[in-house]
Amino acid sequence: MRRRLLAGMVAVALAGTLTACGTSSDSDSAGGDSGSVDKVKVGVIPIIDVAPIYLGQKQGFFSKRNIELTMEAGQGGAAIVPGVVSGQFQFGFSNWTSLMIAQSKNVPIKAVAAGVSSTGVQGKDFGAVVVKGDSPIKTAADLAGKKISVNTLKNIGDTITRQSVRKAGGDPSKIEFVEMPFPNMPAALDGGQVDAAWVVEPTLTAVKAAGGREVASTFVDAAPDLSVAAYFASTELIGKNPDLVKRFTEAINESLAYADANPEAVRTVLADYTKIDEKNRAALILPKWPVAINEASVQTLATLGVEDGIFAEAPDLEKLLP
Amino acid sequence: MTSARRRSPARLDHPALLGVAGLAGLLLIVQLLPTLGLVDDRFLPPTSAIVSALADEAGTGQFWISLKDTLVAWGWGLLIAVSAGVLAGFGIGSVPLLRNLTASTVEFLRPIPSVALIPLAVLLYGTEIGSSLLLICYAAFWQVLVQVLYGVADVDPVAYETARSYRFSAAARVRHVLWPTALPYVFTGVRLAASVALILAITAELVIGSPGLGKDIAVAQASEAVPTMYALIVVTGILGVLINLLARTGERRLLAWHQSVRGEVPA
Repeated sequence: MRRRLLAGMVAVALAGTLTACGTSSDSDSAGGDSGSVDKVKVGVIPIIDVAPIYLGQKQGFFSKRNIELTMEAGQGGAAIVPGVVSGQFQFGFSNWTSLMIAQSKNVPIKAVAAGVSSTGVQGKDFGAVVVKGDSPIKTAADLAGKKISVNTLKNIGDTITRQSVRKAGGDPSKIEFVEMPFPNMPAALDGGQVDAAWVVEPTLTAVKAAGGREVASTFVDAAPDLSVAAYFASTELIGKNPDLVKRFTEAINESLAYADANPEAVRTVLADYTKIDEKNRAALILPKWPVAINEASVQTLATLGVEDGIFAEAPDLEKLLP
Repeated sequence: MTSARRRSPARLDHPALLGVAGLAGLLLIVQLLPTLGLVDDRFLPPTSAIVSALADEAGTGQFWISLKDTLVAWGWGLLIAVSAGVLAGFGIGSVPLLRNLTASTVEFLRPIPSVALIPLAVLLYGTEIGSSLLLICYAAFWQVLVQVLYGVADVDPVAYETARSYRFSAAARVRHVLWPTALPYVFTGVRLAASVALILAITAELVIGSPGLGKDIAVAQASEAVPTMYALIVVTGILGVLINLLARTGERRLLAWHQSVRGEVPA
């Protein structure tokens, strides 16, 4: 009786230990690779915008520059900035509005490379305001006074949606924005909880496949070839390890150019870090990945953000732009 | 009477059969709701689509890696929580003064949801397994602690005084009187902690982004891969059932000598 009890407990402890050993082995292997190689963690959101960095990793653009890359998928851009500032990640990916909000609060970050841009084509961009097929809303002007969902309040979604309404001759001050995750928006639209939704891919394709309509290409309306997001680092890292930052920037730029030139490779790599199914991967609209940051468009976002009261103080773009 | 009962065919009200019937009923309902159009299948796909997505997931290496990650976090979290809970429980439970001193504190801390610790976990450990362990250990620890405290309190004072009269050492009293008495409570605590540990393992992965099934659920959700998301959710449910079965089986075997288990056998 006693032996059986003891054996059982030992077996349980052993099983736990053996399972953990597997993890330890992985760590040991990783440790063995260190040398002149820099280990770099990048905070990203698992969305199509960051396909270039996964492609670049696959193509060896980072390893040939002695960078061993690990992507850490966070749940939102807002969580990545603290991660970069605290040193948990060496680099991060975030939209320009989030970066400007941080900078306007004197958070010590700086962009090091472009991230993603709009296609610049009305009705064929990766972000849009959508409505149900039978909705009475026909144009952006009709959005005035309506309830619109965005993924994060007081951020890029509401700023550029207001701009689309303004441009169409509507009154943006009357819009009621509601915050909810992108995946919840199709159901909220269907159920009438919101009148419209500001979405990006792959939710945009999902909504249109279910009969929804686009009423505004918000990124396109905000500025021609809008720079939407960027890769960034803390000013501390940039000061302490400028060579690493330079190599990372070169690798990212090469990745961006490769992704922009190889859309089919992008659609393929999406299967590696997302669970977007094959049909949607083929159908969704890809953004543009220019190497150059469209600084005028970032200034436009800053101006719009100040107008909407998103920034407590106007962001200092000179400190933020590379 | 005994012989007649033993020879009767499998009873239709056997708990295992009823459990399976319940699950089958649930699967049927989930198949019918979208099929009959009561729920849009874009948001709740039928069972057949979920099973198909599950088969696809099982064919990928990532699924098994995530399963392993979840089980590692669950296993380590449970081990740490049970060890800490048993030690703390015996330590506190054996000293009436300590027990009274800590009673209010335990009741204060116990209901605090582990998810409230997520900002702290992220600050300390980022998206490493440490974040999951912090949440798991915090939640599971109280389950074990409280059960052990009940167990120690349940010791028969006559048996305890008899052991003292026979000059058993403190260690011997624990070994022969406290431990056997508390053991059923310990196993109850372990069983409860095992379920809670799984819930928190999945939650940590889902919210923080630690590697595991929960993170895959979040990625599937963000990818508009609705059947895949439900398939992964089903996997966590299956894990829950298996863990509970394992805990109950282990409990029954290891406590075969105890009247709380023997008592279940027909006289």
